Amino acid sequence: MSRWRYFGLRLLLTIPILFLAMTLVFMITRMGPLDPVTAILGPEASGGASEDIRQRLGLDLPLWRQYIDFMVGLLTFDLGQAWVAAQRGTPVTALIAERAPRTIWLGLWAIMLPIFIGVPLGFYAGLRSNTFGDWIASFLGIVWQAMPNFWLGIMLLAVLRQTRPGNQFDFLPDWYELGPTTESLLGTPDLSFIAIDWFLLVPIPTMFDFFGFLTALKQITPAALVLGSALMVSEMRIGRTAVLEQVNANYVETAKAKGLKGRTIVWKHIFRNASIPLVPVLMSEISILIGGSVIIEVVFGINGIGQLFYQAVLQGDLPVAGSLAFVFAVITLFFNVLQDLLYTLIDPRVGFEQ
Amino acid sequence: MSIQNTQTGTEETTTIQQKVLENKRPAAIWAVGMLVLVGLEFGRITGWVVTAGGVAALIFDLFVSLPAIIGSNVGGVFGFAGDFVATGVRLVTTVAVALLLLAIPAGTVRRLLPVSPAKELRPEMPVNIRLLVDRAIVTLGLFVAALLIVLTPVGGAVDSIIAAIQSLFDSAASVQTLTSRETIPNQGYESPSGSGWEGTFMGLSPALAWALRVTVIYLYATLLVFWIWKGYTTYRQHYREADWTPLDDSIDRFRGHKWGLFGLAVVFAFLVLAIWAPVMGPTTIEANHYEPYSNEFQYLGDSGDVQSTFHGTANIQSRSNGDSNVGPMSYDDYGRWAPFGTNADGKDLFTFLAFGARTSLVIGLVTIGLSGMFALILALVSSYYKGIIDLVAVMGSDTVQSIPALLLILMLMVTLREFEHPIVGIYDGGILLAFILAFTYWPGLWRSIRGPTLQVSESEWIDAAKSYGQKPSVIMRKHMAPYVLAYMLIYASLILGTIIITTAALSFLGIGIGAPTPEWGRMIESGRGYISTQSWHISTIPGIMIVFVVIGFNALGDAIRDAIDIEADISGESATGGAA
Repeated sequence: MSRWRYFGLRLLLTIPILFLAMTLVFMITRMGPLDPVTAILGPEASGGASEDIRQRLGLDLPLWRQYIDFMVGLLTFDLGQAWVAAQRGTPVTALIAERAPRTIWLGLWAIMLPIFIGVPLGFYAGLRSNTFGDWIASFLGIVWQAMPNFWLGIMLLAVLRQTRPGNQFDFLPDWYELGPTTESLLGTPDLSFIAIDWFLLVPIPTMFDFFGFLTALKQITPAALVLGSALMVSEMRIGRTAVLEQVNANYVETAKAKGLKGRTIVWKHIFRNASIPLVPVLMSEISILIGGSVIIEVVFGINGIGQLFYQAVLQGDLPVAGSLAFVFAVITLFFNVLQDLLYTLIDPRVGFEQ
Repeated sequence: MSIQNTQTGTEETTTIQQKVLENKRPAAIWAVGMLVLVGLEFGRITGWVVTAGGVAALIFDLFVSLPAIIGSNVGGVFGFAGDFVATGVRLVTTVAVALLLLAIPAGTVRRLLPVSPAKELRPEMPVNIRLLVDRAIVTLGLFVAALLIVLTPVGGAVDSIIAAIQSLFDSAASVQTLTSRETIPNQGYESPSGSGWEGTFMGLSPALAWALRVTVIYLYATLLVFWIWKGYTTYRQHYREADWTPLDDSIDRFRGHKWGLFGLAVVFAFLVLAIWAPVMGPTTIEANHYEPYSNEFQYLGDSGDVQSTFHGTANIQSRSNGDSNVGPMSYDDYGRWAPFGTNADGKDLFTFLAFGARTSLVIGLVTIGLSGMFALILALVSSYYKGIIDLVAVMGSDTVQSIPALLLILMLMVTLREFEHPIVGIYDGGILLAFILAFTYWPGLWRSIRGPTLQVSESEWIDAAKSYGQKPSVIMRKHMAPYVLAYMLIYASLILGTIIITTAALSFLGIGIGAPTPEWGRMIESGRGYISTQSWHISTIPGIMIVFVVIGFNALGDAIRDAIDIEADISGESATGGAA
């Protein structure tokens, strides 16, 4: 099978998978034992009010009808309304639009770590395998990977909090005064430093406040560090293994015998081949980033999508949780397709047989 | 093995029984040693048997309760005639479940029968159909026998016999053992005369007595593992048919793998902590955690006389909440030893964490067991038949993986814990969480073994077995599964770390395992507010324990991979850890 046909098949498969994922979400939210009405009104809901909500949610319809409405709603991005007390009646799309920038801001900085630190570090360790530096990097990587994100976040917060003069860690620079002054370690970064106008799908920044940018960056740094570090470490370990494998490959011998310069071998051949196994890892990390953002946003008090999902789940607001799960599924599947595309472009060997 | 030998018959081969009879000494030495070791802990080991029996009974009850659940659900659909239909459905499903359950022992019973009923009836029947018919007949026979027992007075007699056996086991389980709390007691009070401690082991201080007991437990467990290993080497040296098997090389490689041995040691420490949890802590979990107001203890009062009070009352004075503090390696005001300090409620942290280890272990094992079994069967079937089954498996796993794991688990946990089913209550949602984790993690396991399984299914020996007329189920079980199991072992070890982290993270978020079941993540959450105070230990120590255990399982997985020496294309470290 040619690789483009393989890619086409994978692309085609995405459609039924999306449908199945939506069905799964439907089954969890509508057919599970958790009754949305009880979640909204509390267990001692009166008949009239609960009937009213039942009707407005469409829960009085037969199940097949609910299923069709649900699917059509999701596919047309009519994600329904929130039912949690604080945001009752707000469309879910509006909630997402309000909160998504914060989560994207977090994810953006988090993904920098694996790409710009993890991969180069791993390649470095792979080229200088079994040196002291490699040993230190590998050891730290193993320990770091075993640390739960939420615990790491708590610990980081505790250390940063104690950098105030007169506390345990005051030999470190005072975090509150470092750069732009911050009042609290927790909280949502203020993203109003940039204003964007949309011109035919092209975003055009109309205003940019550098100090505001720095403040927002500082606010997000601890959270992004924790969220990105686990990915950074796994990128590093895989990058190291990949380079090690290439360094010992026969074609490197050949290239050396041919008289190629070491730099050319490393940059043109080793790194290029070593980056192939990194592609699927980076892509699968998108899913981990989304999952991790829930915990990180809760620990660091950031009012993003992850926090929204957590609150929705906790309060039994299943319409919101289900819609968000659908959005995340779409994002994951999009990156899956992107991964296949990249794979098809980079690695000519991939085929369905493998 | 013996059957094969008699079948081939060309070589001069001996069975292991014959070999042992020829050379009794090494086997006898080992058996005596094992008897002594088991004898030292007889009560505890009987206790494990009783627990295993309880778990089996629970699973059995689960199957038995199926008809009632199905009946009521089906009845709901039918509306007005619901009751009538429900009764009918319940009856039918009860009989079906009973027959299915009886079909399992029927296989063994059939083999013991001197004659084959089907062969008597119709001698020309093909062998494989005859075996099925025989089994069906035996099952029916067992069913009738069971009905007779239940419906006649014999049932009462059987019940009383079972009850007698049970009480026998229970009393055996309460026998004091080497590692019992009673053997090396560590709870006591300072004697009013000032000459040491009353009630502790040989008058040692509670700290020393506790340390001694923990040391004895670990020594005993080490000795037990060593003796089992010794049994294997004895077998290998004296009684094994082959001089060399590939496993020997793997074991040698593992023994030279320092990192892996470190991992093994950590995993061993974790397992012993979890298994011996009831005697690990300086106090019992019942007295300290579950029922602090129905258990008293004695202490030396300020006025110099021995007083007694409830654990709960004393706990209030021993809180670690920033203002007051009982730190690690210290006594509280009542002379109670707290190796890891106390938590914000004044309860002993070590006792809690030991039982938390047990919770993590149970969840990990259930998850790995369920998802591993499902992934293995699916991988075997999908790679044997390929085509549409493989496609369906791909789609199924992609669907589950399309929703980020943590979000899926959160959603499932919140909805499913509303079910009014006894399973939800076990470990305050722990077993339910294990089921959900199994559902979420099977695609990863399946994916990781799909490649190797496909590879095996293409090999010549599978072709040979097919042309020989071997049944597909036998080919999968005997010729494919053993090869894939090695991969499973690696992944099981690597994914256990992820499971432990995820469980802790969910409990931290308040959606995993609820109170009062001890769980590490919940303790981290409860100590979160005091982390910048002197009571920093509440959140820190459980976190460090998680880090160690996860490192241990990861190292073990890496070492097994290196030892089995399979192609290094398993990037097991790929993004397993960081999810939570």
